[in-house]
Amino acid sequence: MKDGVTIAAPFAARTGWGTRLFAGLARVRRLPAATVWGLVFVAIIGLGILFAPLLTSADPLALSQDTLLAPSRAHPLGTDDLGRDLLARVLYGGRVSLSVGLFSAVLSVGLGMTIGMVAGFFGGVLDEVLMRITEAFQILPKLLVAVVVVSLVGSGLANEILVIGLLSWPATARVIRGRVQVIRHEEFIAAAEMSGASWMRVLARHVAPNVLAFLLVSASLQVASAIMSESFLSFLGLGDPTHPSWGLLLQQGQLFLQQAWWLTTFPGIALAMTILGLNLVGDGLGGGRAAAGPRK
Amino acid sequence: MPIGIPVIARLLLRRLLLAVPLVLAVVTLTFFFIRLAPGDPAAILAGDAPTPEFLAQIRAEYGLDKPVWAQFLAFLGKAVTGDFGTSIYANRPVFEVILERFPATVLITGTAMIVASVLGIVIGVASAKRAGSSADALISSASLVGYSLPGFWLGQLLILLFAVSLNWLPTGGMTAARASYHGFRHVQDVALHMVLPVTTLAVFLLTMIARFTRTAMIEALDQDYVLVAEAKGASRGRLLWHHAFRNAAVTTVTVIGLEFGAVLAGVVVVEIVFAWPGLGRLFYDAIYRRDFPLLTGAFMFSSFIVIVVNMVSDVACALLDPRIRR
Repeated sequence: MKDGVTIAAPFAARTGWGTRLFAGLARVRRLPAATVWGLVFVAIIGLGILFAPLLTSADPLALSQDTLLAPSRAHPLGTDDLGRDLLARVLYGGRVSLSVGLFSAVLSVGLGMTIGMVAGFFGGVLDEVLMRITEAFQILPKLLVAVVVVSLVGSGLANEILVIGLLSWPATARVIRGRVQVIRHEEFIAAAEMSGASWMRVLARHVAPNVLAFLLVSASLQVASAIMSESFLSFLGLGDPTHPSWGLLLQQGQLFLQQAWWLTTFPGIALAMTILGLNLVGDGLGGGRAAAGPRK
Repeated sequence: MPIGIPVIARLLLRRLLLAVPLVLAVVTLTFFFIRLAPGDPAAILAGDAPTPEFLAQIRAEYGLDKPVWAQFLAFLGKAVTGDFGTSIYANRPVFEVILERFPATVLITGTAMIVASVLGIVIGVASAKRAGSSADALISSASLVGYSLPGFWLGQLLILLFAVSLNWLPTGGMTAARASYHGFRHVQDVALHMVLPVTTLAVFLLTMIARFTRTAMIEALDQDYVLVAEAKGASRGRLLWHHAFRNAAVTTVTVIGLEFGAVLAGVVVVEIVFAWPGLGRLFYDAIYRRDFPLLTGAFMFSSFIVIVVNMVSDVACALLDPRIRR
């Protein structure tokens, strides 16, 4: 971005994505404490999941005779009813939970951003229609819809990702719409329109870079919410049994709640720490659900 | 200014009209789901290994031999009149099975919502009053933790602590299995069984209400009319509750309405964890028994309830805030 620094303030918005993102990051250099704590939680879980093979040599799917053993030196988190090592199951289960969370968040944030930008930018009837649809989606019991769809269509990671992603976009759409409505009347947008840029170009080059910071916040909250939704589906037995996620582990834990506390406690700690970490990140960056406010 | 009956009636009518498209959307979605699922819709509705006679009966019942639009109209007509089909497992009308389980769910959901609203409002107002203090920071962090805990895991932890380790409270069910109490003892027994499920269910809503109420209260306390009231010598309590909270309450009520769908999803897992014989448990059993008429029926029923609750919360907002009344 050769001219990014020298351009006068109102025109800075016309510079490329890279400059905007960099400027955004520079602004959040002094991160709030909540975000730092959130990042620490997410980093602990993330590194554990990433380096799972270094942390345990156990196979998360290997059966053994050592059933329902309490935590010990050989099995730091104990074993389940089929003698599988719980540490390995929690670490590898995290890969499933996080993947579903990430992919469905990409889908929902992408959808929400598109819908929010279009509604906020064009306003009028289009905005009205899109917002009524968004409200309808917000009122519908999203998780119950997901349960019915997955029960009918069949479980599997792809279905889970699609269902969660397609149901979770309204929050992002509302935040982005609100932001776009504000910048819609800025001078640089008018300047771009007057210079003959198409609406597609205005949206992509001038509006989108300005909602990026909000998108980061939205994304971290969305990943948290998607992981929660996935665990909900898995807990109801609608997860992918060949790829056990944290929710599935907790479902198994429920069966042995009175005999084996570790089966519930450890996967739950991992799950709650991840969700809390991501919520802290989003909340600290100023876009928490409380900060965003409910609909007017 | 007292609010006359005509105002409320007009409001209700308005919201009812707004609810119609939502009800239509729910029914359309359900219809779409059943058709979307791979395979023969009749086979899906009939569950596993149906007899050819049963398949034929289902086809005739749902008009699956007719064109799609006719099928949809038939489905819609039945759905809005409460005819959700026949449960495969119970072999009784779905609506009847649902109504049977409904009171148990209303009992814990209603109690949890009252507890969450009262505590959430008090906590939210108290922390807004001390905004920026360490007590406020502590409450905010605690509510973020509460909001991040998956409901079913919280329930499991409560069972491990209060039922398994301390043995203070029952692990689940609605009544003691080994005794049949009557009168006051029965009420006491059910109440004891309600403590953990209601706590689990209330935590999520409580934290949401506290967070939003806090934000709305901070905003309201900053307004000129609060300053005027203070200058006129209003007491601290009157300032908080009469002047500020009356304005923040709109936010609180809206949150309760918007989060009600999430509360119902929470009921499903709470009823599983605590073996509570309600609608959520029925929903879960329907998944397992592949009782699709029951599943889709329970879904439509819950969605209608969500729509009604949102309608009530909209009307309540309008009654609280004359500016919304148009």
